Amino acid sequence: MIDKMPKSWNRKTKPHLFCPGCGHGITLKQLGYALDELKIQKRTTFGIDIGCSLLAWNFLNCDTIQTHHGRTTPVMVGFKMAKPSRVAIAYMGDGGGYAIGLQSLLHAAFRNDPITAILVNNENYAMTGGQMAPTTELGIKTSTTPNGKTLNFGNGFLGPELVKQISQKQSFVARVSVSQPEIVKLTLAKALQNQIQNNSFSFVEVLSICPTNWKTDAKDSFLRLESMQKYYKLGEIKDESN
Amino acid sequence: MSQINLLICGEGGQGIQTIAKAILDTANLSDNFISYIPSFGVEQRGTPSIAFLIISDKPVLYPKFNSADICVILQQRAIDSVVKYINPNTTVLFDSSTVLHTKIPKIAAKKLGLPATKYAREKFSPRSYNVIIYGAISKMTALNSDQAEETIISVLSGKLKDKKLEESYRQAFKFGYEAVLETGKYSFALYQTKTEINIIRDQNKTAEIDPNLCKGCGICILKCPVKALQFGEESGVFALPVPTIDIAKCIACGNCRRFCPDGAIGVDKK
Repeated sequence: MIDKMPKSWNRKTKPHLFCPGCGHGITLKQLGYALDELKIQKRTTFGIDIGCSLLAWNFLNCDTIQTHHGRTTPVMVGFKMAKPSRVAIAYMGDGGGYAIGLQSLLHAAFRNDPITAILVNNENYAMTGGQMAPTTELGIKTSTTPNGKTLNFGNGFLGPELVKQISQKQSFVARVSVSQPEIVKLTLAKALQNQIQNNSFSFVEVLSICPTNWKTDAKDSFLRLESMQKYYKLGEIKDESN
Repeated sequence: MSQINLLICGEGGQGIQTIAKAILDTANLSDNFISYIPSFGVEQRGTPSIAFLIISDKPVLYPKFNSADICVILQQRAIDSVVKYINPNTTVLFDSSTVLHTKIPKIAAKKLGLPATKYAREKFSPRSYNVIIYGAISKMTALNSDQAEETIISVLSGKLKDKKLEESYRQAFKFGYEAVLETGKYSFALYQTKTEINIIRDQNKTAEIDPNLCKGCGICILKCPVKALQFGEESGVFALPVPTIDIAKCIACGNCRRFCPDGAIGVDKK
């Protein structure tokens, strides 16, 4: 069974540190398959953020950098400038990418820095106990919105659409969901290709599940993920103005 | 005894902090002084979770202690993080259906076993093992049994959805309170996590399930198109049940391996 896992899947550190049923495990496994497909495990550098995404520090068997909260993108941009032959991946959650680290993400997209940013969106701040995040949809109950999120906090944050607005033509921006693991793998491979071949920015948002903080079982988690997919549209985000 | 230093440890998600709060609430009702320090990692599940409690008839001046009077162990992995608090005058209470008695430090004065997981699965609801342990702790710390029962039911009220479940938890508590603890001869640690992979075969396919990786999230059971998987008796790494496979029904579609976040399951065609 283990030989069917990605080569970069670090067997020594398993069981990994994520909660039961966490979408990070599914996403990282597919990222491992994508690295295998492109044969770039040995020249990949993997940057991780604060939050649940930091628990990926030993998930993959490749060079890893742990950065400050929301600063994964600029650290990986700087790393890529110093070592252009490496493949730089910035892996973050929605808190790090859209709340505290949004300006870093937007400017990396604006400058078309050749890195791949992967953002896992589970609609809350999971490590601290499921508080409301920018990505939480209207009416969703969290520990800081006990009566459901109201409109004065805004609806769910549409990150990829915003990034696409200001990014340049060559960039690749997409949204995928862990309910379709094969598409996650294909999209991540495409995003990495865009970095390697076109030397441009790529950004993938992965809609994920969080059974621990949503307080759901497997069935209800995937039902909620389905309703998320109605609001957050899947697929490659195209710039309509061009 | 004027002061009891109580230490409860287990896996995150087993309800350690829940029963710790219930014990303190009960002790507080009868004019005791109490202190409580919860200790767990940044992960929400799967790291050792420890509760340091002091119940005293004098004001508690300092909440930390170096030697526990009673140490409660619910999961084998947690022993490493509490071994320094176990001294020659410590009484150790452990779940003998998940923890091997030989793994308990020899220095302890008394080793008391209670196969709570076994009884919970056989007699009450499977998740009520911590209430059985809570009943035993209530007796050891000389708490009032009626008060202790009402406290745990009110603490768990959000989770007990119907009367039947509540009644089974009340029964579990009474059973734990009155249980005779094992001293010399311990139960077999039936539900401890296995280290070897379960391999199930038929003529043209092989299924592998690794209890040492499985966290019991149930995604494979949900995603199986022919319903060949269901939860079994064994415990996985987070003390949650591991799925078993009906190999005759399986069509080797690969969905379980595709979705498993832990890489714990897979079926191969020969």
